[in-house]
Amino acid sequence: MNRASLQRALAIGFGGALAVFVLLGLVFPGTLAGDFLDILTRESTLSSALRLSVPIAFAALGGIFAEKAGVINIGLEGLLIISAFVGVFATSLLGAGGETLGVSNVWVGFAFAVLASTLLSLLFAVVCIEFRADQIIAGLAIWLIALGLAPFVARVYYGSVNSGSVSSLGTWEIPLLSAIPYVGAVFRSDPSVYFLLVAVPLSWWVLNRTAFGRHVDASGENPRALDTAGVSVRKVRYQGVLLSGVLSGIGGASLSLGLGQFIGTGQTMVNGKGFIAIVAYLFGNYNPIGAFGASLLFAGLEAIQLRLQQVPGYTIPDSLIQTLPFVTVIVVLALVGRTRIPQAAGEYYESGED
Amino acid sequence: MGQMRSQAVRLAGVTKRFPGVLANDDVDLEVGAGTVHALLGENGAGKTTLMNVLYGLYEPNDGAVYVDGEQRRFDSPREAIDAGVGMIHQHFMLVDPMTVAENVTLGYEPQGRFGVDRARAREEVVALADRYGFDIDPGARIEDISVGVQQRVEILKALYRGADVLVLDEPTAVLTPQEVEELFDVFEELTAQGKTILFITHKLGEAMGAAEEITVLRDGRNVGTVPAGDTSREELAELMVGREVLLEIERDPVETGDVVLGVDSLRVRDGRGTERVSDASFAVREGEILGIAGVDGNGQSELIEAITGLRAPESGSVAIDGADVTRASRRAHTDRGMAYVPEDRQERGLVMDLDLVRNAVLGSQHDPAFAANGRIDWAAARAHAAAVIDAYDVRPPDPGARAASLSGGNQQKFVVGRELERDPRVVIASHPTRGVDVGSTEFIHERLLALRREGRAVVLVSSKLDEVRGLSDRLAVMYEGEFVDVIDPGETTEEQLGLLMAGERPDETAERATVSADGGEDTGTETERTGTDDIDGE
Ligand SMILES: Nc1ncnc2c1ncn2[C@@H]1O[C@H](COP(=O)(O)OP(=O)(O)OP(=O)(O)O)[C@@H](O)[C@H]1O
Ligand SMILES: [Mg+2]
Repeated sequence: MNRASLQRALAIGFGGALAVFVLLGLVFPGTLAGDFLDILTRESTLSSALRLSVPIAFAALGGIFAEKAGVINIGLEGLLIISAFVGVFATSLLGAGGETLGVSNVWVGFAFAVLASTLLSLLFAVVCIEFRADQIIAGLAIWLIALGLAPFVARVYYGSVNSGSVSSLGTWEIPLLSAIPYVGAVFRSDPSVYFLLVAVPLSWWVLNRTAFGRHVDASGENPRALDTAGVSVRKVRYQGVLLSGVLSGIGGASLSLGLGQFIGTGQTMVNGKGFIAIVAYLFGNYNPIGAFGASLLFAGLEAIQLRLQQVPGYTIPDSLIQTLPFVTVIVVLALVGRTRIPQAAGEYYESGED
Repeated sequence: MGQMRSQAVRLAGVTKRFPGVLANDDVDLEVGAGTVHALLGENGAGKTTLMNVLYGLYEPNDGAVYVDGEQRRFDSPREAIDAGVGMIHQHFMLVDPMTVAENVTLGYEPQGRFGVDRARAREEVVALADRYGFDIDPGARIEDISVGVQQRVEILKALYRGADVLVLDEPTAVLTPQEVEELFDVFEELTAQGKTILFITHKLGEAMGAAEEITVLRDGRNVGTVPAGDTSREELAELMVGREVLLEIERDPVETGDVVLGVDSLRVRDGRGTERVSDASFAVREGEILGIAGVDGNGQSELIEAITGLRAPESGSVAIDGADVTRASRRAHTDRGMAYVPEDRQERGLVMDLDLVRNAVLGSQHDPAFAANGRIDWAAARAHAAAVIDAYDVRPPDPGARAASLSGGNQQKFVVGRELERDPRVVIASHPTRGVDVGSTEFIHERLLALRREGRAVVLVSSKLDEVRGLSDRLAVMYEGEFVDVIDPGETTEEQLGLLMAGERPDETAERATVSADGGEDTGTETERTGTDDIDGE
């Protein structure tokens, strides 16, 4: 069997199983399938899916810029962790609930979070672009640094790997629109959801319609072509990586400040979202809109998974349900097959080399 | 041409050193505005380096660059571009997934109110193409167009940036004779509109035909600038090499033996699923060179990939000495004695970042001669690298040099040397002399003929017609995935060959010489013919 037909079989199988499940749910409302359907159609599921998709999608957008420019940033997870922590930490330092220069401290904390993530991505960029470091190893190092640093500082300052609570970013509600059934949930969201809804089309536009987007593309596909066209590959790669820092920073800050706390146990509250983000943009074939769709899919599964755990009466172990998003990731990857990654991604580029 | 011509480019005393190598040694060069100037020289003579200095990619250690009479110092290509110098590199600098218009405007995108003004970019590219008579679709992706068209895109790119001086590094190396003609027509059109052209070539005939003046570099020095109308191939060859060069290929008859390579009804698809080779069958015997000619992109690459085990064919079979290797690994092919000179030396022939010692054992890392107990015997590898370097005159003769630091032609010579000295049963050589100077080309031809005399089988793909005609015992012409005809090169004129390459069926060609077996060389002609239906109907 060749790959195409295998993929088709998988798609049909997967889609079929889903359809049967939904059908079962319609016919037998009291069963697991019924509960599943019920959860799926709840407004709160949509809004929590949106909220959960924010860090994944922002990190994915950042990853797109970096990788299209030719630098594979596997350290997105680390950028999310550092910004999630710094957002809460800076807010605490300034005094939760207060204001600095007329701006609410949560938002100042948010800005510091983005700054922290950007600085960490700058470190990554310098190591990769100036010192020819292996991008994968440097990316892992970024993750490990953040994973160690954030809970450590939390323990020193708060006395626990989890931070104390600060006020959250709250929700922004758009009158009228939020009254629409079901989709109204979109208009009663965390501020970060709105940011995301702006950032996705904006990223698409930058990548596909601006000169900078062209240069990013060329820098990842054939950096020599860009260099000989008189555009500095170094500069474009720095910009790409720094953008991944800024965008991941927004994602990480939204994650912790949306909740008003940083949780540092285990893999921290980021818990693999940076890695799922990589899958999301690969799945979306480096298209911001596709990556957003994939992030939403993964976040939706997460939301369903969280709610399924709350349905009483089932003896499905939590840990099994928790694998749901990851199983989907694998199925999805098998379905998409191979994404075409930028030709020169991961390779160091030296100007003037023959 | 008595009147004073202004100098478009003047290089004065340019010297460029690399660690351990003096690539350009006090070079003076003057190019008149609106003229075509050819640069000749052996591999490693410093031609590319000199042009890179002019283009601002390298900073010279000494000397000055004048453009339009003004002294310039270019710290980057951008500055050279701004001064009106454009360069078309040996390896094209195009972004494959982007369109023609996007590539042409790269770095100089016209700005609209909402980002790049794509409509204007297209219009400008079309207008420019029209002005120089190029037929180009601005929306086509680079990966979908032929090499010849890609070259036009490169030229347009330079023109779009306002180049008045165009520098082309071995522009004809990858072109078919037909495309070369077209390129020279483009040169004429460009100079008629006041542009100045400087191009590098290894083909003496091209330099004499297309240029007004020819400069020869040897060992980094300018050994002479001569008017093209006033020189001969012999003089040029001698200037380049410092000795007389045999420009004719002499091929003695050789007794052929058993079939070494047997290919039967091979069908091959490319990565996108398009059928590129339809039903190719042939056999190559000991002591025989089978040439494959054709316009690039007619399935030669895919055919070779299938034969060498780089691409699994849809159907059909490949056998070496009767043993089936159709779906066997590359290593199995090598173990059975297949040597392979790939078409793209940088992509497949070498690991550019490794030194020549490591590159010398690529593909023979399991060979007992170099490996003992799972470890590579580096002393043996080094000795082998040195032997190849010595025999094939690779310069600089340093086994420790990184492959990337060699000039294009020297990289090629090294790959050819490594493969031909494998003690092969059968050699698959794709464009073995691409980018190689006349002297070394002569040597590689001799080596191929020597292998033939020793009873090895050779498959030779080349876009150089004189090469395939001169070396091959039989010549298969490929067109759209099929062998249109298998001919005796000695009996076919270049024109007839050109017609066949353009897809004309042999029965349409009035006067043609289909092979058949000359003398005792009745070598599996039956099998080759099964590949095409038309041939049987003669
Ligand atoms: N980046 C580099 N580092 C070190 N040595 C180099 C570098 N580039 C070129 N050289 C050396 O400079 C010399 C001239 O090389 P160049 O590429 O200019 O030759 P060329 O005349 O273009 O040859 P070819 O016909 O093979 O393309 C060679 O000896 C080469 O090994
Ligand atoms: Mg060269």
